[in-house]
Amino acid sequence: MELEEMKQGWNAMSKRVEKQEILNQQIIEKMTQDQYQSNLKKIALPEFIGTIICYLGATYLSVNVPKLEEPLIQYFGVISIALLLILPIISLQSVRAMRKINLSSHTYLETIQIFGKQKIRFQKLQKLNVSLGLFLMVIGVPVLLAIKGISLDPTPLFWMLYFPIGIMFFLGFSYWTLKSYNKALKATEKMFTEVNE
Amino acid sequence: MDIKENFANVIKANEGLIYKITMLYTDNKQDRKDLYQEIVYQLWKSFGSFSEQSKLSTWMYRVALNTAIFHLKQSKKRPDTIPFELEMDKLTDESDKAEEERIKLLYEHIQKLNLLEKGIILLFLEGKSHEEISEIVGISISNVGTKISRIKEKLKSQIKKNTDYGT
Repeated sequence: MELEEMKQGWNAMSKRVEKQEILNQQIIEKMTQDQYQSNLKKIALPEFIGTIICYLGATYLSVNVPKLEEPLIQYFGVISIALLLILPIISLQSVRAMRKINLSSHTYLETIQIFGKQKIRFQKLQKLNVSLGLFLMVIGVPVLLAIKGISLDPTPLFWMLYFPIGIMFFLGFSYWTLKSYNKALKATEKMFTEVNE
Repeated sequence: MDIKENFANVIKANEGLIYKITMLYTDNKQDRKDLYQEIVYQLWKSFGSFSEQSKLSTWMYRVALNTAIFHLKQSKKRPDTIPFELEMDKLTDESDKAEEERIKLLYEHIQKLNLLEKGIILLFLEGKSHEEISEIVGISISNVGTKISRIKEKLKSQIKKNTDYGT
């Protein structure tokens, strides 16, 4: 297939497409009214639910952590609260950045560049989010057990075995997850470089 | 004629343009419908501020292409779709299998290009002048020529590779 044939194919398709009627007046009106919520501005349900869960968790810990006696667990508790407050902010930041884009004032190249930068930033934030989330899992468990009154002292295996295994699992999983994020990040950076060539 | 009626007429006159963009930037029917709707919405949002300093088609291509880029990132989030049919996946008559195959192949090759190349070749195939491509894309007119030559070479080698492997 030669390029000229491609162009002929494109023209033939254009003629057929132009003959068809896709939208009528009513559908166009609906699309311009409130019945349609822009996909680009929509905060996905998982992000919204995740934020609520994190803030409920932070509230729960804020009420209970001051009651804990052991300084190390208290320290873990404070870090957990901070993480629960920070994680949703990181997630929602990319959505907020998306809202600022004006799709009619930028050229196609400028939009690709903005998109590329946002995607790279988003992927970096996701990496940070995953690492912090996993870290939260590790330090949150002793805090929750302490709040529930389950003492870890008579369980020597916890600090000797379970906790180190948890840390190793955390490091392994982080490595695996971050590797896949790095792959995605490299693909975006490659696309970005190609476009700017 | 009020602004809504005016807008509807503009959209109806350019449905094909929007459809072709959705075909190039999506790989399934549902995404295609979502993107179609998003483009119409984004065009409506900026319709009031369209100053007529540029051509209507230039403005439409720019908004539609820019929306398509950002839709790539959001395609997993399903919007509240307004029910409408987008039943044009078969673009040719049953009798013309060769043409259908050619169009399918054309899309496959274009979809392998990067975002910038994809936009430029679309505008080229749509018969836009280098000047208008330059205005929509935001690169110099001479650069448009260079890019088109490079894309042609790239497509040629893709097609050759495809033919060599007999696919």
